[in-house]
Amino acid sequence: MSKNVTSLSGRDGKELTDPLWDRLQQAAKEQGGSPSDEQVTAIADDFLIGEAVAYGTTTFYDFLKRDNLGKKAYVCNGSTCLVAGTQGKVREELGKHFKPEEIGEMCCLGRCHENSAFHVDGHNYSGKSIGHVEDVVKKKDEQGAWRKADGQYHVGTSMAQPILTAPMPSLDEFYSLWERVLKSDGADLLNEVKLSKLRGRGGAGFPMGIKLEAVRNAQDTTGNGTPRKYIVCNGDEGDPAAYSDRYLLEQRPHLVLLGMMITGFTVGADTGVLYIRAEYPEAVENVKKAIAEIEAKGWIGDNIMGSGFSYRFKVIMAAGAYICGEETALLNSIEGKRGEVRTRPPYPAEKGLFNRPTAVNNVESLACIPWIIQHGGAAYAALGSAETAGSKLLSLDSSFNRPGIYEVECGTPLRQVIDELGQGLNKKVKAMHIGGPLGGIVPMHKIDELTIDFETFKKEGFMLGHASILCIPEDFPMIDYLQHLFEFTAEESCGKCYPCRIGSKRGEELIHGARKQDQKIDRQLFNDLLETMEISSLCALGGGLPLGINNALQYFSHELDGNFKS
Amino acid sequence: MSDVAYIDGVAYPINKGESILTFLRRHKGGDHVPTLCDAANLEPFGSCRVCSVEVALKEDGPTKVMASCHTPVGKGQYIKAHTPRMERLRKNLVEMVLTTYDTEKLKTEDHGRNELYNVVKQIDFNIDGVRYPKGAMPLDFIGKEKSFALDRSHPYMVSDLSSCIHCFRCVRACDEVQGEMVLTMAGRGFNSFIAKGTAESFMDSDCVSCGACAQACPTSAITDVFMSKENVPDKVVRTVCTYCGVGCNLDVKVKDNTVVSITAPYDAEVNSGHTCLKGRYAFSFYNHPDRLRTPLIKRNGQFEEATWDEAYDYIVDRLADIRAKHGPNSIAGISSARCPNEENYLMQKFMRAVIGTNNIDCCARVCHSPTAAGMQRTYGTGAATNSIDDLQHTDAMLLIGANPTDAHPVTGAKIKQEAMKGKTLIVVDPRRIHLARYATYHLQLRPGTNVALLNMMMHYIVKEDLVDKDFIANRTEGWEEFTKELLALDVAKMEQVTGVDRNLVREAAMAYAKANAAMSFHGLGVTEHSQGTFAVMQIADLAMMTGNIGRRGVGVNPLRGQNNVQGAADMGAQPHQGAGYLDLTDGEVQRLYEDHYGVPLPAKPGFMIPDMFDAALDGRLKALWLMGEDVVQSDPNTQKVIRALESLDLLIAQDLFMSESAKYADVILPASSFLEKSGTFTNGERRVQRVQAAVEPLEGTKPDGQIIVDISERLAERLGLPEPFNNGAGAAPSIAKYQKHVKVDGGTRARTTYHPAWVLEEVSAVVPFFKGIRWEMLGENGKQWPVAADGTDTQILHKESFKRGKGKFYAPHWAETQEVLDHGKDYPYIITTNRELEHYNAGTMTRRTANSEIITEDLLMINPEDAARNGIADGDMVCVESPRGKVDIKARVTDEVKPGILSSTFHFPEIMLNIITSDIHDSEAKCPEYKVVSCRIRKARKGHLRKAGEVTEKV
Repeated sequence: MSKNVTSLSGRDGKELTDPLWDRLQQAAKEQGGSPSDEQVTAIADDFLIGEAVAYGTTTFYDFLKRDNLGKKAYVCNGSTCLVAGTQGKVREELGKHFKPEEIGEMCCLGRCHENSAFHVDGHNYSGKSIGHVEDVVKKKDEQGAWRKADGQYHVGTSMAQPILTAPMPSLDEFYSLWERVLKSDGADLLNEVKLSKLRGRGGAGFPMGIKLEAVRNAQDTTGNGTPRKYIVCNGDEGDPAAYSDRYLLEQRPHLVLLGMMITGFTVGADTGVLYIRAEYPEAVENVKKAIAEIEAKGWIGDNIMGSGFSYRFKVIMAAGAYICGEETALLNSIEGKRGEVRTRPPYPAEKGLFNRPTAVNNVESLACIPWIIQHGGAAYAALGSAETAGSKLLSLDSSFNRPGIYEVECGTPLRQVIDELGQGLNKKVKAMHIGGPLGGIVPMHKIDELTIDFETFKKEGFMLGHASILCIPEDFPMIDYLQHLFEFTAEESCGKCYPCRIGSKRGEELIHGARKQDQKIDRQLFNDLLETMEISSLCALGGGLPLGINNALQYFSHELDGNFKS
Repeated sequence: MSDVAYIDGVAYPINKGESILTFLRRHKGGDHVPTLCDAANLEPFGSCRVCSVEVALKEDGPTKVMASCHTPVGKGQYIKAHTPRMERLRKNLVEMVLTTYDTEKLKTEDHGRNELYNVVKQIDFNIDGVRYPKGAMPLDFIGKEKSFALDRSHPYMVSDLSSCIHCFRCVRACDEVQGEMVLTMAGRGFNSFIAKGTAESFMDSDCVSCGACAQACPTSAITDVFMSKENVPDKVVRTVCTYCGVGCNLDVKVKDNTVVSITAPYDAEVNSGHTCLKGRYAFSFYNHPDRLRTPLIKRNGQFEEATWDEAYDYIVDRLADIRAKHGPNSIAGISSARCPNEENYLMQKFMRAVIGTNNIDCCARVCHSPTAAGMQRTYGTGAATNSIDDLQHTDAMLLIGANPTDAHPVTGAKIKQEAMKGKTLIVVDPRRIHLARYATYHLQLRPGTNVALLNMMMHYIVKEDLVDKDFIANRTEGWEEFTKELLALDVAKMEQVTGVDRNLVREAAMAYAKANAAMSFHGLGVTEHSQGTFAVMQIADLAMMTGNIGRRGVGVNPLRGQNNVQGAADMGAQPHQGAGYLDLTDGEVQRLYEDHYGVPLPAKPGFMIPDMFDAALDGRLKALWLMGEDVVQSDPNTQKVIRALESLDLLIAQDLFMSESAKYADVILPASSFLEKSGTFTNGERRVQRVQAAVEPLEGTKPDGQIIVDISERLAERLGLPEPFNNGAGAAPSIAKYQKHVKVDGGTRARTTYHPAWVLEEVSAVVPFFKGIRWEMLGENGKQWPVAADGTDTQILHKESFKRGKGKFYAPHWAETQEVLDHGKDYPYIITTNRELEHYNAGTMTRRTANSEIITEDLLMINPEDAARNGIADGDMVCVESPRGKVDIKARVTDEVKPGILSSTFHFPEIMLNIITSDIHDSEAKCPEYKVVSCRIRKARKGHLRKAGEVTEKV
């Protein structure tokens, strides 16, 4: 982690007013997908960093790197679209309107409920829209039925009083809580969050109260202008099959924004940064709109409503790198650097964004905060299971009869989610990959052992993670799916630590060899590979991949054994 | 009882904040845990994971695997590095690495130096035991983008990325050590690769060739043309660099009595594994074909080869004759700040105790004499008050008239590192030097107005009441008068003459004054002025008035130009003070010296260098001995210098090369370079460090020390003086060990072999601050003077009181230089001289290395407005004319200089920039004003370019 680049890119208060990251993105846009060497050099000069640093950044991100030049359409290559088998057709249709070199790939547009997802000119499309590529290209019939139906998904809950999916009251009513917060004591707010027992919803499940307390107690020691702390919202929902954060950012942005404002007030942070994936253009747009709304109301800004508290937002659009969902890689990205994972300590709570104390939280975690402050931490803690308080959003993919986003009280049986909320499956499914590519692969016979919480998943050797549910169809070869997982990891590894950088590539090659060249895999070697990745990777990408692979090896040995030397 | 953690069940004390790796190495040795991405002078990075260990919170409790390099050791942890699981993990990791490496190549690579190979061996991995089928290699994926994976574009730097193991050590070294950020990892994941700049070659990139990456690389992915890591030397000799006052320690690798490469030792306190391209790579001058290899005597206008005895006899005859005819004061010597202390001491001793004159000076005269004079006046000691290491403890840095990223690269890199991390940096310089880009304030003043600007700064500090009243009351004198002067300052006029906005000056002054600890650094941009000494005194005043003296992270820190400028003056190579700065006009001091040398000594101060030229021209000086000093190329007003040399009866030039000055000599003595001799250099922070001969002197050459000893003994014999090194109270106790005796008329005379050990015995007997300095006791990192008899040295001066008692405030008035007053009207531009990183002063050494392939010529920096006004385009030849003469220089159009200001270097004799510089000098210390030269410019007429150094006008 270059301390120098962090310091230089955050110099003179430029850190978020005219950030290095935005400059590189702007240059990429002007140039048609990737900044020129001259732009890279000029921008680096402005920030007093080596041109190599800016060059290194641009080559790291899918939508900044040189290969992105001239790309006009992107095909979703996420896991759900893959297992749904829809993307061959998508490529074919796009190929009628774009040259091959104009078509790129994007990893999961969050249209997992209907697949056939693609992206043209800043907009995502899915489902039946692939039949309207000409309209898309010519920007025709944009009010037509096909356009209106595009991307629609069901939002439901099994809770009598949902927290995240409840209808939104008017803005004035909703933000009346903010006025109350501004008159309260941060220590009391922190206490409510601690009482709520809310655990991070991004997947790791770290108690939010403890994190906020650390940031509240930390001091900005940078000496860089005004001392400052940050609230960073991790909107880099990269897990293929997950789109619950997309739902919140697009449909409930005020839950997230107010959550960030309250959290900021609690820890003494004056800036909220939302890092949102480029694959979610509508989320970026809706969040920006929502910020403009509350700005117009005077609920953010300097000395808000005479309280002496100031707060501002900055929206950062990511540029295509799954690893930036990892909090330290995300911070590096906001600073305009390569999204490489930082070593810890220092933790972001002490030295985070631009080396200042920073709370990085998932979208859903932040969205829970207004409810917790409104109803009290105890009320939230009263919901849920023994170790997982509150509710959880689930993303159900297109294998369900009623795919969509569902909010359930933690502890709800998985079976109930499948049968009642999802209304059963529309195809034969042999396993569910729950919690993203780093989650566990749950065979159907284990479904009844699981309830929606951290503890039963952990006990059974799986992981709730971000609670996306991807169904692996009966006829989809497990070995193909495992190769896809290795491929995904190899593609998305930041490349910093050896086990992930090399291990994911070699794992992919071993499986590829078994599938295509009948090179049976040495089981000891494969186990060594998995152990090495699991115990020694720098972050959860390399470290998390083996979980699902091991699940598959355990539960689908009948299907996989033939690939291994006996 | 301190906190403990357990290694394999045994308790060991832990240090607060240390990593598990450091903890393990501290107690179990450096090899306890193998590593690949860890490096001595870099921050923990955590990429290779080979250093992983198992950690439990209780004995036999559940363990977690942690990378020991970036995990802090915790109280009560149970750490095991060599469990079966960890041994297996390391093998599995290394196996993965080997899938990306050509193992056949690895087998042939030098095994002591390829760290990957070493780790393979250490963990007992069978190099042929990689189980993975052959797969993709990282470089397979490099697209059509310029990759320069195999890059031999550069005279020094080489890369072959097929040996890259993605440890990022080169990238980190370029960032964390040099601060240049030329290297990056590019791409993502498996197919990422090291790129230079925007994926360029080393030559096309902004690489400054410091070699930090090559030294950091664990394999040969990045190396240098000398194969510094890979070559297997017969021996490694630790010595000190000759290229500037930083005093970097160097490990010189020698094979068959030839220097094959140089690296920087990690345990060096001065440079911690870093150095610049001059120190690391520019050593090939030492056995360059141009080296003088035999004495030469000029007969009938032609140099003829001579034996050493012939040359000595010639010199002794001529010196004795001139001394007899014209007296001792008709003879002078110029000693060398590139030579060790011992040789400087011997040279001044020769002049004083054998010839009998104080006509001894050295090139400190033309660089930092005002520093010595100014700081002596204010504090009593003319040396840096603090150490470079104090940068870590300072809050604000004031850099005046110095360009350390070029001239003192390791210190420059350290200042840059601090500035990049956000420490306040104030740069006062007419040029937008590299560090000015990183500065909080750049006060871009007109050359020649330092005194005006410093007065403005002090004016505001007094006005804003940001002074340290306690310090002033207890430690200083002259405050009342001083503040009166300052408050009466005509700020508007000073603003006008300096050309710097007064508000900017005020802000910068306040930033300096408000910092808890502020350090100043200055260079020749302060001293080489007609008011150089005054400006130094002001810098000293600034530090005193704000209490920035006598503690960590503060002080006045001159950046010494040549490697031993500090030492040459310390040793008495100056005409008014003897060894140890004692005033030789003081009778008591005079007796001390006479006692020490055992002969009567002259009491009248001798000639400073500029006086020598005047004296030669008017016939008072007849003989001059130049030790390693090329006055023709490096002193101002070349034509005057040449005429002075031509006026002499005897010019002795002792040098490595046929320098521009040597051409005028009557006798030339071929000396040895720093790689061939031993002694001590004193760096800019008063650190006396050992220079140790790496190779035998080139055949036919002798160390300067030996030459002086030989001539001293022979001339003393001729003059009937006692044996110079056995005589007096100062004679070294061990001298007999170094002597043999030869028969002469009427008995025997001692013939002494030069060795720094006995010279230092002599020095320590007379130089008070060298009392505890002995050759054998200097150790690897030397000692900072004053060194007490018991060997205790001193990092910070003036802690309790100043050398002179109370610090003395003095407020000089700014005065326009006579140069501008006399010539400004006809010669409206000001040219100021500077240095480039790649070359050292007159370039005698660096031009004879591949550095001259990187910077090939002197260039004239000219502002775009001036260029346009004169119809000059980038690369055009420009005729620069001063009242002394004209030179043609190629233009580099740049806004680094303001309109009206030009700047250039004098590294190349093809230009001989000093033809136009003036011999106006500092009113106090006679340092020439290289920094303010009035001139006019025009585009040179095609076809009328002056040839190299051709003189067209006589003044």
